[in-house]
Amino acid sequence: MSPKRASIEAISGFGMDTITLAGPLEAKLEAMKAAGFSQVMLKANDLVGHPGGLGAAVQAVKDSGLRGTGFQVLRDFEGLSGHLHHYKVDIAKSMLEMCAALGCKVLLACSSTSAHASQDLDHIARDLRKLAMLAIPFGIRIAYEGLSWGRTVNEFTTAWDVVCRADCPNLGLGIDSFHIFAAKTSLEEIDYLDPSKIFLVQLADFMWQETKTFEERMATARTFRVFPGEGVHSEQLAELVLKLDALGYEGDYSFEVFNDDYQQMPLPVVAERARRSALWLAEDVMRRSMPLPNQMRLKTLRA
Amino acid sequence: MSDFLLNPQEGREPLQASFSDAANPLGLDGIEFIEYATSKPQALGQVLEMMGFRPVARHRSREVLLYRQGGLNVVVNANPVDAKGAGHGSDVPSISAMALRVRDARAAYHYVLERGAWSVPTHAEVMELNIPAIHGAGGSRIYFVDRYKDFSIYDVDFVPIPSVDQHPPATAGIHFFGVVQYIGPERSNDWIAFYEELFGTELIPDEQRFGIMPKGTLLRTPALDPSQRFMLQLIEPEIHVVDADERLQRIGLGVPDVLEAVKALRALGVEFVETQAAHTEQRGAISKTYLGSVVFELVHSEKE
Repeated sequence: MSPKRASIEAISGFGMDTITLAGPLEAKLEAMKAAGFSQVMLKANDLVGHPGGLGAAVQAVKDSGLRGTGFQVLRDFEGLSGHLHHYKVDIAKSMLEMCAALGCKVLLACSSTSAHASQDLDHIARDLRKLAMLAIPFGIRIAYEGLSWGRTVNEFTTAWDVVCRADCPNLGLGIDSFHIFAAKTSLEEIDYLDPSKIFLVQLADFMWQETKTFEERMATARTFRVFPGEGVHSEQLAELVLKLDALGYEGDYSFEVFNDDYQQMPLPVVAERARRSALWLAEDVMRRSMPLPNQMRLKTLRA
Repeated sequence: MSDFLLNPQEGREPLQASFSDAANPLGLDGIEFIEYATSKPQALGQVLEMMGFRPVARHRSREVLLYRQGGLNVVVNANPVDAKGAGHGSDVPSISAMALRVRDARAAYHYVLERGAWSVPTHAEVMELNIPAIHGAGGSRIYFVDRYKDFSIYDVDFVPIPSVDQHPPATAGIHFFGVVQYIGPERSNDWIAFYEELFGTELIPDEQRFGIMPKGTLLRTPALDPSQRFMLQLIEPEIHVVDADERLQRIGLGVPDVLEAVKALRALGVEFVETQAAHTEQRGAISKTYLGSVVFELVHSEKE
C-alpha cells in the first residue's frame, strides 16, 4: 500500500464537520477531500444557505463522493408541551426530510436548554421516542447528545438514562468529548454504555482547564474548540477514544470543532490540522492496523 | 406464513383471546383494502382476475378501479402521479397502501400522530370521503377506515359497474392473511417497534415458523373480531444481497385447502413456482411473479 493510500485508510474512520470551515459548501467539501477525508458531518445551515438552494447542496454533497457521517442539529426538542411541542415536531420533520435527502443515516439531537421544557426524565424520554418513531420510515437513527449546558440533561450519563427509558431501537447516544471534559464527567462511565447504542462520537478539545459556568462552556464551545491533540485534554481524549474502542464502538468519529480562528484561515490549512489530528488518533493513540478491523464497510451477520 | 398461530390447538377449555383496549389501542379490525399503484391498470387487472378477483366499481373522480372477491377488496390506482410516486420511478406495479379498519378513524389517526406517525395530505374531491393516511414502509401509505359495517366507503367514493355482481364469491375460500414487507439490512427492530408502538402488533416467537416462505419476523395485529387479525412479515435482505429497498412486497392469501386452491387458480391461468426452494404443498404455495413485481402467496388457513 502506498503511504498516501495508507494514510487515507488510517483516517477513514474520522471526518470533519462543515461547521469548522469558512466559505461555500463546495469549497469545504473539496478541502476535506483533498486532506484525505472520506466522510463529512453536515450542518443544516450549510445546505439551506447554498445559493442554489437545498437541491443544489444535496447534489454538491453527492458529487463530492464524501459519505455523510450524520446531519445536525435538532435543538431543544424534548420536554415541551402544547403548541411548543407541535412546533418542534414540525421542525424535527423538516430536519428528518433534509437528512433523508442527503442520505445521512444519523440525525444529531442536542439536549434541551429551554426553561420552558419539563425536567421530568420520563417526559423527555417519551418525546425522544416519538422523534425516533418519526425517523423510522426513513431509516434514520437519532443520536441524542447531552450538551454540557443542557438544563436537565448535561452529561452523557443522564442522556444514557433517558435513552434507556425511551427504549427505541433507532434512538441512541451522541457522545461529544467537549461536553465530557467541560462537565468533567468521569470516563469510567463509558464502561456502562452499550456500544451498539452509541450512534455518533464527536471529538474536540479546548485550551482551558476549567469551564465552571454554563456561560463559559457555551462561549468556549461555540468559539474556541480545537482539534484532538491541540488542546489541554489530549490525555483524556486519548483515554476516551481507547475506552470506546475497547468497549466495541464501531461507528464514526467526527471533529466537531467550532473555532473563530479557523473560520478566518484558508480551508486547506484547517483541513490539514484536522488530518494531523486524525492521524494522531489513528496511528499514535489507537494504533489501528490495516485493514482497520472496525471500519470494514462490508455487511456482517449479527447474532 | 401459516394460520397455525391463529388457530392454536385447543387445550382443556377453548382458548379465549383477550382483547383489551390496551392491547388494541386503535380498535383495529383487519384490512379494508389493499391498494396497488400502476401505470398499466389493464395488465394488473388481468392478473387479479386470474387470481379470482372481479372488477366491481369505478372511482367517481380518479382513475381507480375496485376489484373484489369474498371479503377481499383490492384497489387499483392508475392515477399517473400516484403510479409514478409509489413505484419510485419504476414502471412495475407496487403495493402502494393498506387500509386498516379501525373503531374510530379520527381517534386512530390522532393516536398514531401523537406517537410519531407522519400524516399524508389527502386529495378528496367534493362529496368524497376524506380518508386519513400516514406514511408506511417505502413510501407506501396506511389508511384508516371506520365505515365498514353498516355501509362502506365504496358506496360513497365509487360507482358500481352496471350489471356486475357486487359481491363475487371467493375462489377456493380465499381470504386475507397478511402482508410481506421487505426491509433494509438490520432494520427488523426498527419496524417491530414502529408497528408495536402505533398499531399494537405482537411479535410471534422465532421458533414458530410455518408455511413455505418462513423467513424474517412475523408480527400479528390485534383485532376486535379475532378472525380479522392479520400478519405482517418483515424480511431483511440476505447479507450477499445488495437490494436494501423497503417496500410492501406481496400479499398473503389464506385458503382452507392449498392444493385445491392451487388447482382452481391454475384452471384460471395462474402459474405457481415449483422449485426446490419453493413449491406447492399443503402448507402453502407461491405464484410466479407477474408484471415484474406482483406475487401472491397462498397459506393454509381455516378461516371462512
